[in-house]
Amino acid sequence: MKFDMDYIAHNNALTETNPFFKLFLTIILLIVTLVLDNLYFDVFIFVVMSIVILAIAKINYKSYLKFLSLPMAFLVITCIFLIFFFGKGEVIYETGIFGIVVTTDSWHYGVYTFMRVMGCLPCLGFLALTTPIAKILHCLGRLKVPKIMIEIGLLMYNTIFIFLNEIDTMQKAQNSRLGYHSYVSSFKSLGALASTIFLRALDKSETLQHSLDSRGYDGELPVYEPRKGK
Amino acid sequence: MLEVKNIKYSYNSKYQALKGVSLKVERGEMVSLLGKNGAGKSTLFLHLNGIYEPEEGKVFIDGEELKYDKKSLLKFRQKVGIVFQNPDDQIFAPTVEEDVAFGPLNLGLSMEEVQDRVEEALARVGMSGFEKTAPHHLSGGQKKRVAIAGILAMKPEVMVLDEPTAGLDPQGVVDLSKLLKELNEEGITIIISTHEVDLVPDYASKVFVLVDGLLIGEGTPKEIFSQPDILEKANLKVPIVTELFQQLEEEGFDMEGDYPLTIDEAKDKFLKLLNKG
Repeated sequence: MKFDMDYIAHNNALTETNPFFKLFLTIILLIVTLVLDNLYFDVFIFVVMSIVILAIAKINYKSYLKFLSLPMAFLVITCIFLIFFFGKGEVIYETGIFGIVVTTDSWHYGVYTFMRVMGCLPCLGFLALTTPIAKILHCLGRLKVPKIMIEIGLLMYNTIFIFLNEIDTMQKAQNSRLGYHSYVSSFKSLGALASTIFLRALDKSETLQHSLDSRGYDGELPVYEPRKGK
Repeated sequence: MLEVKNIKYSYNSKYQALKGVSLKVERGEMVSLLGKNGAGKSTLFLHLNGIYEPEEGKVFIDGEELKYDKKSLLKFRQKVGIVFQNPDDQIFAPTVEEDVAFGPLNLGLSMEEVQDRVEEALARVGMSGFEKTAPHHLSGGQKKRVAIAGILAMKPEVMVLDEPTAGLDPQGVVDLSKLLKELNEEGITIIISTHEVDLVPDYASKVFVLVDGLLIGEGTPKEIFSQPDILEKANLKVPIVTELFQQLEEEGFDMEGDYPLTIDEAKDKFLKLLNKG
């Protein structure tokens, strides 16, 4: 199964819930989790929000695990570094390699960081998996976030999908000609892919500019308010 | 209505894409621009609403010369709408309704008017009910319709479509030609660039043939498709029905110099030939 976060955001039990509510709930929970900095509370939030995502928003557990797994890789690496290479204080474990040790301090940092992130992830996931980006951007607009940032976000969001499609197509084409058959060819293919996508990006941005201009674009994206009650 | 006079345009010093093109389209016409890939069709189209400024030559709309200051550009871009070949290049907003609203909002209309236009345009292209959908969840044909709705909502007088049938399935092509014909009957002047010669005689009252930045032919479909030298230069073929009757002529049937271009014409001709024999 392909993991398509955008599709999930548009098709779950909470899609139509007030986006302001979801945005504020997420921000408040994040702040509370960070301020309290309590291991038990982290676990508590993780469990509660996971239940909300799985049971109330009715998001497929495989998709949720995939969502967690991506940042998890970064988290694990970060925490390993924290535990082994940072901090002072009493040594509690000696690895015996290059004098690398685990201290009370670094252990504390590692564990707390890990748990804090674990608590915050489902909070963010709750927003990201249940709310289409368009709605989040609208909320931010109403909250007087600078227009330029919202416009950049909006255009990026749209172009990301075009690029993912382009990359997908090109990668399939390369694969069909054994572009990723060995390590060497993988590196070469990936390099070619990256440079081509850059050139295409330039091309696409020019065409997009033309099509926006054709419809009277004057450097500012107007905000449309759909009719109420529809 | 829309007139182009001796337009020249180069992308760089070595490559001149348009070498002096002149053409005129009357109000209410539905015309077709034929030409092989790289003939300059898209480049010409981008001149029609002032995206490109020609090095030489002028563009007139309703007898008024196209100027390149901000205010006149907005006015002309409202009158002449371009539907781009690839809908992904045109549809940028996160939802269908927001994208269709983009043009009318830029025209500075009231929100209520814009809402009306969005509703109307989506209904017109048969995409009502998709207002909140994300464009990347639509099929190719649906995206094309949304792209057209985005232009329709600006209420243009001329609609320019760059290879609108590219990438559509056969049914999609038929539906689209039907829609365009209807729009034309409602009074919109339509200019289409295409390779699909089979459909051209069906809708186009006039055909232009562009080759290497020069217009080499202009006339009714009948006139154009009876000139093999022009077709050859433009890498074009006659419609498949016409080809059939040309081959029949080689078998000894007398066509009296009149080859049918569409299925309807072909049917009549066939019956006539059968009754004679």
